[in-house]
Amino acid sequence: MHKNLKKLENESIYIFRQAYRSIPNIALLWSLGKDSNVMLWLAFKAFLGKIPFPLVHVDTGKKFKEMYAFRDKYEKEWKLNLIRGSCPPLEKIDPSLPPAARSAARKTEGLRDIIKNKKFKGIIAGIRRDEQGTRAKERIFSPRDVTGNWNIKNQPPEFWDQSNFNYPDSVHIRIHPLLGWTELDIWQYIKNENIPVVDLYFSKKGKRFRSLGDNDITFPVKSSAKSIDEIIEELKVSKTSERSGRAMDHEEENVFERLRSKGYM
Amino acid sequence: MKRKMFLKDLGQKVICKMKKNLENTEVPKVVVVGHVDHGKSSFIGRFLFDVGEVQKEKFDELKKASERRGVEFEFAFLLDALQDERDQGITIDTTRIFFKTKLRKYVFIDAPGHKEFIRNMITGASSADIAILIVDVDEGIKQQTKKHAYLLKLLGIEQIITLFNKMDKVNYSEEKYTQTKFDLNKYLAEIGIKCHSSIPISSKLGDNIVSLSKNMKWYSGPLFVNVLDNFKVSETKISEVIRFPVQDIYKIGEKRVVVGRIESGRISKGTKLIFLPSNERVDVKTIEVWPKAKKEYVIGDCIGITLSEQIFVDKGNMASDTIFPPKLTNRFESIVFWLSEKKISSKKKYFMKINTGEYEVSVNRIKRVIDTENLNIKKNNTVYKNDVCELVIHSSQLIPMDDYSFNKSTARFCLLDNEEIVAGGIIDLKNYPDQREVKELPKRNITPENYSVSEIDRSMKFNHRPGIIWLTGLSGSGKSTIAKNVEKKLFKRNLNVFSLDGDNLRIGLNKNLAFSPEDRTENIRRTAEVAKLFTQAGFIVLVSLISPYRSERKKARDIRSELFREIYIKASVEVCSKRDVKGLYAKAVSGEIKNFTGISSPYEEPEKPDLVINTSIEDVDESVNKLEEYILNEFSF
Repeated sequence: MHKNLKKLENESIYIFRQAYRSIPNIALLWSLGKDSNVMLWLAFKAFLGKIPFPLVHVDTGKKFKEMYAFRDKYEKEWKLNLIRGSCPPLEKIDPSLPPAARSAARKTEGLRDIIKNKKFKGIIAGIRRDEQGTRAKERIFSPRDVTGNWNIKNQPPEFWDQSNFNYPDSVHIRIHPLLGWTELDIWQYIKNENIPVVDLYFSKKGKRFRSLGDNDITFPVKSSAKSIDEIIEELKVSKTSERSGRAMDHEEENVFERLRSKGYM
Repeated sequence: MKRKMFLKDLGQKVICKMKKNLENTEVPKVVVVGHVDHGKSSFIGRFLFDVGEVQKEKFDELKKASERRGVEFEFAFLLDALQDERDQGITIDTTRIFFKTKLRKYVFIDAPGHKEFIRNMITGASSADIAILIVDVDEGIKQQTKKHAYLLKLLGIEQIITLFNKMDKVNYSEEKYTQTKFDLNKYLAEIGIKCHSSIPISSKLGDNIVSLSKNMKWYSGPLFVNVLDNFKVSETKISEVIRFPVQDIYKIGEKRVVVGRIESGRISKGTKLIFLPSNERVDVKTIEVWPKAKKEYVIGDCIGITLSEQIFVDKGNMASDTIFPPKLTNRFESIVFWLSEKKISSKKKYFMKINTGEYEVSVNRIKRVIDTENLNIKKNNTVYKNDVCELVIHSSQLIPMDDYSFNKSTARFCLLDNEEIVAGGIIDLKNYPDQREVKELPKRNITPENYSVSEIDRSMKFNHRPGIIWLTGLSGSGKSTIAKNVEKKLFKRNLNVFSLDGDNLRIGLNKNLAFSPEDRTENIRRTAEVAKLFTQAGFIVLVSLISPYRSERKKARDIRSELFREIYIKASVEVCSKRDVKGLYAKAVSGEIKNFTGISSPYEEPEKPDLVINTSIEDVDESVNKLEEYILNEFSF
């Protein structure tokens, strides 16, 4: 394995183990995308083959059918303890958000419900710093207040692998084991470890998905990459951003920040 | 012209050599620090743009956004992702940018320069491999320039690249550059940081960053990009010294797997280890890694191991090689950066995290507070937010640790005050002896016989660990009552349990002891030693003893700290004297009994007991159930 991948793998395993020992009642968000599959894989490594906490899929009901098929297949094959969560209808979401962002915000609400009902104190999410500016500012262990809000202007210090886990009972912690990975690292690791991914990532009729979300606000981008190797080569020269196919990111300058400060991943 | 050719040539050679490795090298993390508004974010933005790493759509989006807002586009906008940051034109929190030059990949870390956000600067800089200090030549060296340099030193950075920015604002004056550089180098030398290279630049116009400046013909040094690409990140050495802090214990089938990250050295099957603080020696039986383990693992690797013998290992313990184990101490000195508005108090208990260990500590003394502006000692020995100071720290437990000069990663810690990380520090052990020998037996020509049945075998058979449950509290608080009832209940559950009562012991073993402070001390010592024998026989011992002094309870704890639990049976003097089951309070008040705790002799409340049972509020059943549950939780398998 490349030195850099080995280093990233070790960092992630350390974070997983630290989370499990320090935070009672945690769960892993499995969004079925490439990143969360890598995350799942790393969890298998951290806990030596059996993940000692549940996985959560917050289902907007609008994922691609290939994603649902993927979920059902690997839920069985990997013997996952999977909790399926649902999302409230669009009418219940803040109408001041632009349309795509408003649609995406359903997931925030669905997640909030699950955290409340299952009393989760830690949620493991597969976000990465290279995806988006506000994610670049994330901590590995990031506290959220009772309503799920992220206090972006007053984040706790984090250094020498030491983080704070002492928070009031109403707080839950977002755990980000993939924060230091890039999109290219993810694909190289997928190749290296032979991790399965949904077919939608591979080019059909000159287009492929670089990032997977809801079927009505996620669009494929131009690409001829039909295999993992081709994707890796494509990314080495690509100058477009990974989330360019995500409608919600491009509606207003700070819309993603608004979504995230309200608890979006 | 010649110089250009030379640079180009050098560049080409390096490119050929390094391109092959591009895939397989580590990605250096580069932090950019400096005073607020000296142009850190703008520099990174400009550098990204010049090496062609800015995604076009992002650039267009931001350009449009600045037009909409009617402000001039700045390269800093590429990094300052928060609305507030763009509105105020400052960086609030640290951010990371991933990109590559022709030669290698990097992660750039942009750190805020405002003094309010030091904790964010530290968060960003603590993981850096390379550090760049930026100075605005027009403004010169400012407070945070120095503070950041000093903090870099504490964070373990040994050499830095210095950039003198905004050269366009001083008409590219060589004199101004030379003077500022001289001043900065003087300061860096004083704090012991080496300056790797200095470069005059302009982020606004791009001089000397990726392309040679036409305005500074007097500058004959390399471009920033070349300096960066040639900067050698010190390689991690695999030494013979092993450090393996225990992160957790996983029970997988019949195996007890000790997991952790190797902080130094290498581990394979058969490696001999010492575990601290227990000081037990054991071999590595197997390496546990999913899906399949390699033969050997080295520094940085997260692994699991099983041990050749069953010993008590707990998370937070430290395993090491047998030749250079870390020091074991409960006192040490440290250089600390203080991040909190809260004042340091020697009366307070802090929570110290070092590697995977967590300990309760107190600040014994503030040795001195350093003024990073002029490196003088501050006259006022008070520590304010963002100050650097030297502290003497005490702990009630022995902590395995190294001196910072010996091994960085096992010699740094953070302090928590309730829900806040208040400080980070590095350890100086030069003036403190190793106390590992206290774990060894006193050398008095006594050779202890090994037990033929090991403790772990006993506890495996009994299905629980042994333990000392030390009930402390005033006379009449309910210690004996609770102990008796819990003993009964645990016995019914098939646990090996025995109750040692202070009064009963005074009839026999402690017959010759009265109630003076010295005798009380000896009473406690003997009781603790008896309790220890019971634990060696595999028992859970309930000790009911007023044990009024903190220091004595601590000594009792130290005899077997891993198995000792302090239970505070709490009830006020008023409540106890009202109960006065044995009629003692009446006698004490009348003066018939001297040295009676709570009346004529002090009781020092436990500061952080493992469990509190408040018998003025909870009834006997509640108290008994609470303690029973606690013991089962802590000691049964």
